[in-house]
Amino acid sequence: MAIAQDPSARPLTATGTDARNVDGQAICITVFSAVRWWGRAVLPAVFFIARRRRGDTTNLAKLAFIHFARWSLIRRLPGQTLRHPLLFFESNFNGGWEEYIDAFSRILTTGMKWFWGSSYGFPKPLPTGPFKDYIRRHELVASHFHCAYPQATTKIVLSALELDRELRAFRGRTRDMAPDAFAAEWKAFLGRVERSL
Amino acid sequence: MSADVAGQASALTVLTPIAPGREIELRMYLESLRTRPSPLKQLRRTHFGRFVVVPDLVAEGERGPDHLTSPQLLFTACLDGDLDSYLDELCDALAPEAQEIWGRCEGCPEPAQGAALKAYLADHRIRTGFFVAAYPGATVSEVTDAVDQRERLIAFAQDAQDMDPKTLQREFHRRFGN
Repeated sequence: MAIAQDPSARPLTATGTDARNVDGQAICITVFSAVRWWGRAVLPAVFFIARRRRGDTTNLAKLAFIHFARWSLIRRLPGQTLRHPLLFFESNFNGGWEEYIDAFSRILTTGMKWFWGSSYGFPKPLPTGPFKDYIRRHELVASHFHCAYPQATTKIVLSALELDRELRAFRGRTRDMAPDAFAAEWKAFLGRVERSL
Repeated sequence: MSADVAGQASALTVLTPIAPGREIELRMYLESLRTRPSPLKQLRRTHFGRFVVVPDLVAEGERGPDHLTSPQLLFTACLDGDLDSYLDELCDALAPEAQEIWGRCEGCPEPAQGAALKAYLADHRIRTGFFVAAYPGATVSEVTDAVDQRERLIAFAQDAQDMDPKTLQREFHRRFGN
């Protein structure tokens, strides 16, 4: 059975961004972009459809390095009316910045056109080079970034939660077993949860 | 369901104008937080949080580009449960830091704490359009407990390789309960 190495020895994967955007394995991205006039109408509809389809996690499951992400349309700021509304995007993820944008562009190609298509200067998701340049121009560096579990990647969190469910079931199943039967069940349990270790 | 919610998790976004001439000192204060445990750690419902100073907007060839009349402070959090009680906790537990942070923003109540600060932050809240979470049903404590348990289980699986059945069962119950 393959067992993961000691987590304290796990290499940090957060690369390609300013150190202030990093907490342990986690990276934050913060982006504002100005939106064309028609984005005022289109983006709320895009958000609505995205919310309705949130259960369809096929593509998001492929982006298994994102913890949380959000988009907002900002029409006005305190004491200031904006001529062009703003699209705000933030993501909390793990891995390298370059790899994140690459995967985002290749897997969510159509979705990204919907989200950023109304933003001035958006160069299309593919090829990724111009899109990376676009994000770099608009990205802001965090002055402070906090993650409650900085050493855990998204994959580790999902594995740990799955393992917790399996372990609860295992405990219930083996509560009154004799030692030999327990040992056999333990071996079967390890085989079942190997992917989560 | 509200657009600020995914499962049991909520998204909070607050944009406040920084008072004239106070941008640099605010940025220095926020960056100094790296040298000690984050104050957001006190808010145990916070999965992720960030403070970002927005000095101005980047133009991309639009006609009549907008420029900020004052730099803005962005605060966002991904948190467990509802926003209202989270803001209560923030305005209570983070009062000393809130004074250093939002006390440098225009219109912030003096002192920056309690119901007055909550009202200020709520007034400057930006509603979310779309919020997505990889594990929307799990709270911070559930995540940290599960991650810790996984690490203990990995260690136990290695220790248990040479245990006889009786020892294995006894040790498992000792480390993971019945």
